Amino acid sequence: MRPRSPNIQNYRPQLTSVLSIANLITALISTVALVAFVAWLVAAALRPSSYGALHAAAVSPIGRALLVIATFAFFLHLCGSIRHLFWDAVVGFELRSIYASGWVAVAASIVLTAAAWLVGRFVKG
Amino acid sequence: MPEPREPTPSIAARARGLGSARRGTGAWRAERVTAVALVPLTLWLVASLVALGGADRAAFVAWLGRPLPALLVILLLLAAFRHTGLGLQVVIEDYVHSAAKIPLLITTYLLCFAICVVGVLATLSVAFRR
Amino acid sequence: MIIHSSSQVSRFRLLRRFPLPRGFGILRESRIDPGRHWPAPAGAKRTKTFQIYRYDPESGRNPRLDTFEVDFDECGPMVLDALIWIKSKVDSSLTFRRSCREGVCGSCAMTLDGTNWLACTRFITEMASPASVYPLANFPVIKDLVPDQTHALAQYSMIEPWLKASEPPPQQHERLQSVADRKQLDGYYECILCFCCTSGCPSHWWNGDRFLGPAVLLQAWRWLADSRDDAKGERLDALEDPFRLYRCHTILNCTRTCPKGLNPGKAIAEIKKMMLERTL
Repeated sequence: MRPRSPNIQNYRPQLTSVLSIANLITALISTVALVAFVAWLVAAALRPSSYGALHAAAVSPIGRALLVIATFAFFLHLCGSIRHLFWDAVVGFELRSIYASGWVAVAASIVLTAAAWLVGRFVKG
Repeated sequence: MPEPREPTPSIAARARGLGSARRGTGAWRAERVTAVALVPLTLWLVASLVALGGADRAAFVAWLGRPLPALLVILLLLAAFRHTGLGLQVVIEDYVHSAAKIPLLITTYLLCFAICVVGVLATLSVAFRR
Repeated sequence: MIIHSSSQVSRFRLLRRFPLPRGFGILRESRIDPGRHWPAPAGAKRTKTFQIYRYDPESGRNPRLDTFEVDFDECGPMVLDALIWIKSKVDSSLTFRRSCREGVCGSCAMTLDGTNWLACTRFITEMASPASVYPLANFPVIKDLVPDQTHALAQYSMIEPWLKASEPPPQQHERLQSVADRKQLDGYYECILCFCCTSGCPSHWWNGDRFLGPAVLLQAWRWLADSRDDAKGERLDALEDPFRLYRCHTILNCTRTCPKGLNPGKAIAEIKKMMLERTL
């Protein structure tokens, strides 16, 4: 049997492949968040006690940390997906555009996450 | 003129496989259409949840009970689970090559459908209770 | 930070490899053992260290990583020159493909410092220290730096890369094509089939048995875009498959690594767009 040359063990991570795997990982996290949202809806439809338990978990420090991570993951997936939608329209394929849009997507998701949590803090008073 | 050199039948046959499935554009298109629908819907949901803050059950039920939020949440659930189901199918096809692939695909498809129905029913029950 | 041409070597060498265990997913026969160290010849003032993947099919041993010290002053500026210097002065058993030494034949495609490029157009000064030279990623290795491209070439012949016209050729002149139509082929006909792109595509790593890969799909688009070709429907039918075409998730490692500056990612997007058009 011939040996196979190394692939992921040796190939350099680049913005292209790193953002692509990030889109996948954030998709999986967003799926978990979506199922959690459905659980939240079910709790709201049922007795107050079940909602209360979920609510307490969400405002706890661990719950808050998970929510921040989930928000960031969701926004990164959103920005990455918009980038993908442009590509599906065959727009932005020059290397310069690929790299620029990549960095914009990362920056935009950080800004959006920060904005969401800062506004939330402001609303609560 | 010399004949072009053909790869040996086993190598060419392996490249051909079982032939083209002649489908795949439908799933690709559905994933993009649901994505386009999800951009405004998810942004609206995140904005609404941020505006609600750490609301208690009464406030959340009051918000969800009104027709427009209930409708948008139901549309979001439908689009999101279609999008998620298609995406997870692609992920499983990419990374799972063992005999577990088909059971996993079936389970994922059915789970997405079931959880979506659960979410829609929960929203409807809150909306119609008022 | 912003790459504008595939010939740009990345300044930031923060992550040389993905943070995975070194032997992650490597089959027993592909595991790379440590190899020999070949010191620089006496009197060499400027040297460059090369780590080169070696595999001898007749030895029965696993592949190994040899370290060579190359005399910078004695060999030409390109990595291929260094390899030729090693073969002529140090170890004549070093085996690699090469032909034109000017970046037009595609023979010397290799994984240099973790990205795919042609050895004859990569300057030694652009390489890291130590420089790493591996055969093209994810291909079976025949010997040393020579990959077995039979499967990739079989996938290429499967897309039937020739003109399929319904009319016989005209008697008095060639098949006519307007300047605008001919322009549609620019950026696709120049492919030298070096397979740098296919070798760098993670989707082809995981599903290369069924996914055609960027090189083959770029050529498929070259024939779909040709105004003289009349078999667009059959070509699209053959491509419309969840694996043959739709394993492409627009990762775009291909466009990043093409040594001729071509854009396989864009070609694949054009195929998907044409595929969508016939359903609307």
